[in-house]
Amino acid sequence: MFNQEDLVKSHKPRADLLGNMVVFAFAVVLARLWYLQIYRGDLLYRFSLENRLRKENVEAPRGLIFSRNNDLLVFNTPRFDAVLVPQYISNEEQTIAKLSQILSMNPAEIKKILQKSSRQAQYLPITIKKNISHTEVAIIETEHSKIPGISVQTFIGRDYADKEIGGHLFGYISEISQQQLPKYINRDKIKYKQGDFIGQSGIEEQFDKYLRGVDGYLFMEVDAMGALKRLIRDDALFQGIDNKPAISGNNMRLTIDREMQTTAYNALEGKAGSVVAIDVNSGEILAMVARPSFDPSKFSMSLSSDYWSSLVSDDKNPLRDRSIQEHYPPGSTFKTITAIAALEEGLINESTTVACNGTFKLGKRVFHCWKKHGHGVVDIHRAIKESCDVFFYKIGTMLDINILAKYANMMGFGRRSGITLSNERNGLIPTREWKVQKNGQEWQLGETLMSVIGQSYVLVTTLQMAQAYAIIANGNSLYRPHLVKEIFSNDGRILAKFGAEKVAEVKLSEKTLRLVRDGLYGVVNERSGTAWWFKGSGIRMSGKTGTAQVIRMSAEKLFAKCEESDYKSRNHGLFVAYAPKDDPQIAVASIIEHGCHGSSAAAPIVRDVITTYMKKYRPEQMEKYIAEERAEQARLRKAMAAENKTETAPVDGPDDE
Amino acid sequence: MDYSTKFANALKKYDFSFFGTLSIIFLVGIVNLYSATHASNESSIANLYKVQIVWFFLSMAIGVGISFVNPRNFFRFSYIIYLGCIAMLLAVLALGHVGMGAQRWLGFGSIKFQPSELSKIAVVLVLGRWFVRNNYEHELSLSDMVIPLILTAIPMLLVVVQPDLGTGLLILLIFSVIAFYKKLKWRSIVVVVLLAMLTGGVVYKFGLKEYQRQRILTFIDPTADARGFGYNAIQSKIAIGSGQFWGKGFKKSSQASLSYLPENHTDFIFSIYNEEHGLTGSLLLIFLYIVLLFRFLWLAGTVSNLYDSIIVIGFMSIFFWHTFINMSMVMGLLPIVGIPLPLMSYGGSSLLTFFTCAGMATSISNSRNLF
Repeated sequence: MFNQEDLVKSHKPRADLLGNMVVFAFAVVLARLWYLQIYRGDLLYRFSLENRLRKENVEAPRGLIFSRNNDLLVFNTPRFDAVLVPQYISNEEQTIAKLSQILSMNPAEIKKILQKSSRQAQYLPITIKKNISHTEVAIIETEHSKIPGISVQTFIGRDYADKEIGGHLFGYISEISQQQLPKYINRDKIKYKQGDFIGQSGIEEQFDKYLRGVDGYLFMEVDAMGALKRLIRDDALFQGIDNKPAISGNNMRLTIDREMQTTAYNALEGKAGSVVAIDVNSGEILAMVARPSFDPSKFSMSLSSDYWSSLVSDDKNPLRDRSIQEHYPPGSTFKTITAIAALEEGLINESTTVACNGTFKLGKRVFHCWKKHGHGVVDIHRAIKESCDVFFYKIGTMLDINILAKYANMMGFGRRSGITLSNERNGLIPTREWKVQKNGQEWQLGETLMSVIGQSYVLVTTLQMAQAYAIIANGNSLYRPHLVKEIFSNDGRILAKFGAEKVAEVKLSEKTLRLVRDGLYGVVNERSGTAWWFKGSGIRMSGKTGTAQVIRMSAEKLFAKCEESDYKSRNHGLFVAYAPKDDPQIAVASIIEHGCHGSSAAAPIVRDVITTYMKKYRPEQMEKYIAEERAEQARLRKAMAAENKTETAPVDGPDDE
Repeated sequence: MDYSTKFANALKKYDFSFFGTLSIIFLVGIVNLYSATHASNESSIANLYKVQIVWFFLSMAIGVGISFVNPRNFFRFSYIIYLGCIAMLLAVLALGHVGMGAQRWLGFGSIKFQPSELSKIAVVLVLGRWFVRNNYEHELSLSDMVIPLILTAIPMLLVVVQPDLGTGLLILLIFSVIAFYKKLKWRSIVVVVLLAMLTGGVVYKFGLKEYQRQRILTFIDPTADARGFGYNAIQSKIAIGSGQFWGKGFKKSSQASLSYLPENHTDFIFSIYNEEHGLTGSLLLIFLYIVLLFRFLWLAGTVSNLYDSIIVIGFMSIFFWHTFINMSMVMGLLPIVGIPLPLMSYGGSSLLTFFTCAGMATSISNSRNLF
C-alpha cells in the first residue's frame, strides 16, 4: 500500500477543485461581510449605538367570567406601571430624586428596587411603581425627556365586579413565583416566564389553562431615550422577524347566581362562616360564599404589603375558604343521617317512641338532652322536629358506628365532593377501624352516642352538608357539585360544557324519605320546630338546625348562656335546608363559626338565600305559597276566635337547641 | 547517533505548520472570547476564557502526543476507533433516555466529553480505510457508494436522534467531500445533487406546514427558540454590520455588553469579532483559515499513500464546514444550527477535535520523509 504516489497524484484534479470551492465559499462570505459592513454599515452602526430594535412582550388578556345569568363578574382593566430602563440613566442620583418626587416614594426604596434588578440586562425595564394614578401617568409622559429611561407601561389588570363577594371562589392571580416557575413549566408544558401572572387559587387557578391567553410580541424601533418611535414593518434588513399578536384567553360561564351571592355575603356580615347553595337536580353551585373574605382585585393591580400582611396576620384567616377548606362537627344537622340509617336498617319505624326526661344513662355516664327537662314521649317526627337528643342516644345503642358510617359515606360525607377547587377538605366519618388505626384504641359505645348527634369525631364541610340534603330533596341522586356551565372562546365557540354528573344512586325507601322529609318540614313549619321563627314566607323550606359543641362542657356549662362565654369556646351554629317542599329545587347549608345557635345564627341566612332564589326563579310559585299561607293564617284566626281562645306566643323567642 | 542528535533530527523534520496556524487562530480567538465575556454579570461566563485556555493546553498536549504516533496505526485501528465511537454513541443514547431529553455528553468522572465530536474523525478514518481496501482505479459510480454511505449513516443517525441534526448533517457533508475527492463520477454527482435539491425543496415547500418548518429549525437546535431565531439573527447582523471597515475596537462591542446577543461566546462569537474588528479583522481571520485549509490540501497531494491522502482531505473538510457554516449562519445566510467556529467559539470538546485532526495531519506530514 505504500508507493501509491501515482495513485495519489491521480486525485490532484479533484483536490484542485476542492481548493477552488473553498476559495469560492470564502468569497461568498466576504461578499456578505462587505454588504453588511460597508454597504449597510452606517445604518447598522447607528442601530447598534442606539440599540433601536426592541422586542416587546404583548400581554394576552385573560378570559372573562360570567354568572349563570351573564352578569360580568371577572374582567380585565388597564393598569399603569412606572418603569425605568437602566441603560438610559445618565445620572442615577438625579433620576432617583426626580422619581421619588413624581411617584411620592422614598428615594431609598427606589434605590433598593434598582439594586435588586442590577444583575439583569441593562435594556430590560425595571418596574418602579405599580398601578400609578392618571395624574402620575400624565406627569411622566410630559417629563419623559427630562428623566431619560422613565416610561409608563400598560398592563392588563384583573378586576372582580363584586370585590370581596366570592373572593375565595374566583381566587386571585399574581406573578408566578421563583419556586413555581420551573415546577409549572414542567407540569403544564407552557413556557411561563418571570413576570407572568397565573391563577393562584379558586377558579383562576383551576381553570388557568383556559383563562390564560397566549402572549404575543412586537418589534419596535425606539429612540435613544427608549421611547417608542415606530413599529417595525418591512425593511429588507428585517426579513425573518415578524410580530405575533396576543391571543386572548377563553371565557367562562359559571353556575353562580350573582344576586344569591350578594344575599349570602350580606347575610354573613360580621360573622365568620360560609354558605353553599346547590341545585338539587344537577349539582350546580348557585352560591358559595365565605367570610371573612378578601378582595382579589388587589392582588393583580398592586398588592400593597399592608393589605397582604393584614390578610396573613388576621387570626380569622380571610384567605381560607370556609365552605370547603374548613370542616366542623355537624351537630344536630347530622341527626337526619342517623335517622335515615336507623329507618333503612329497620331499627326504628314511625311508631317507635322514646321517653325523654332530659338525660340518658349509659352505665355510669349520663348523656344530656339539650332541653334540660326533656321532651316527654317522642317519635321520629318529633325527634327530628324538636331535635331530641335522647331519642337519638337510644338509636345510638342499636346502630353500629360502621353502619352509620356506611350511610354517611353514601351521602357524600368523609370524602372530597370533587368540586374543581383546590384544598378541599375530606371531613371525617369515624369507623371502628379508623379509631384503631388512629390511636390504637377500641371504639367505645359512648362515642357512638356522640356520633349519632354529630359530635365526637364527625366532621363535615358546608358543601358536603348542602350536597347531602340535596339527596334527601331529590330522593336518590348524589351529584358532583360543579361551578362551571361552559367555557367559550371569543368568537362564541363552546369549548367545554359541564352538565349534571351523577356520582352515585342513593337508594332510600319511600317510607324513610317521607318520614325524614316530614320531620324536616316540621322543623321549620310547625310551631314547636327548632327553626319555626325563621320560616320566612312563600318558600316552603324544610331543614334542620344544628348547634355543634366546640369543646366538651360540663352539665352546668352546657346550659349556660352561650353568648356570655368567650368567643373561641362558643358553639358553631348550623342550618341546612331545601325548598320548596313539594318540588325541591335548591339546598342551602350554612355554618357559622361560634354562632352559638343553628337557629338564630344560620337559619336566617339560609332563609334569605332561598327567598332570593324563589323570588328570581319561581315568582309565581312563591306568590301562590304566600296566598296559601295567608289563607291558612286567616283560617286559624277564625277557628281560634270561634273557640274563643287567644294565642299565646312563647315569650322567650326562638327555642334553643 | 546519540539521543540528543536523534531528538534534534526529529525536531528538524517536525512539521510545525498545523499547530502553528491553529495556535495563531486560537490566540485571536481567546482575546476575542475575553472581550465578549468579560463584561458579563455572571462570573461563570466571565471566567470562561480561563477554562478555554486550560482546554487549549490539554488539547495541544493530546494533539502533539498523537503527532508522534505512526500514521500506519491510524489505518490499522480505523475500524476499532469507528466501532468504539458507535459504542459510545449508543451509551449516550441509553443514558440519555434515563435522563430524558437531549443528551450529548458522556462523563468520565468530572471530565465530560461529546462522542458526536469523535464521530466526525471516526467517519473520516473508516471511509479512508474502506476506499483504500477497495482500491478502485476507475471513477466511482453510485453503486460503489452504498457501503461507505452505510458506514456514514450509522453514526450520523445516532447523532441525529440525540437530537443533534446539525452535527449529523456535518457528518454527511464530510462524507460528500471525501466521495468527491475519491472521484465520484460527475454524472453521479449531478444526479445526487439534483435529486437532493428536488426532494428537499418539494418537501420543505409543499409537504410541510409553517409550524412544521419551524419545528425542523427547532429540531436542528433544540436550545434555540424557533420563533426568536429571527431576532437573534437580526441582532447578529447588526453586530457584524456595525463593525464597518475598522471595527469598534477591542472590548467595545455594545451588543455583547448589553447582552443583546445570546450565546455570544459560542455560536455568535464571529459577530462580536466583527463588531470589534470590522472587515479588516475578518480578512485576517479568513486568511488564516484559508492558509490552514490549503495546508491540508497541499499535504493531501504530497503523501505517498492513498489512505493518508484521503483522511487529510477529510480533516480539511471538518475544518472547512465548521468555518463556513458558522460564518454563514451568523450573517443570516443559513439557519442557526449550533455549529461552532473552529478555535474561536468556546467549547472544550470541539477544541480537542480540531487538535486531534491537526495531530494526525502532523504525524502524516512528519512520516513522509521516513520511507
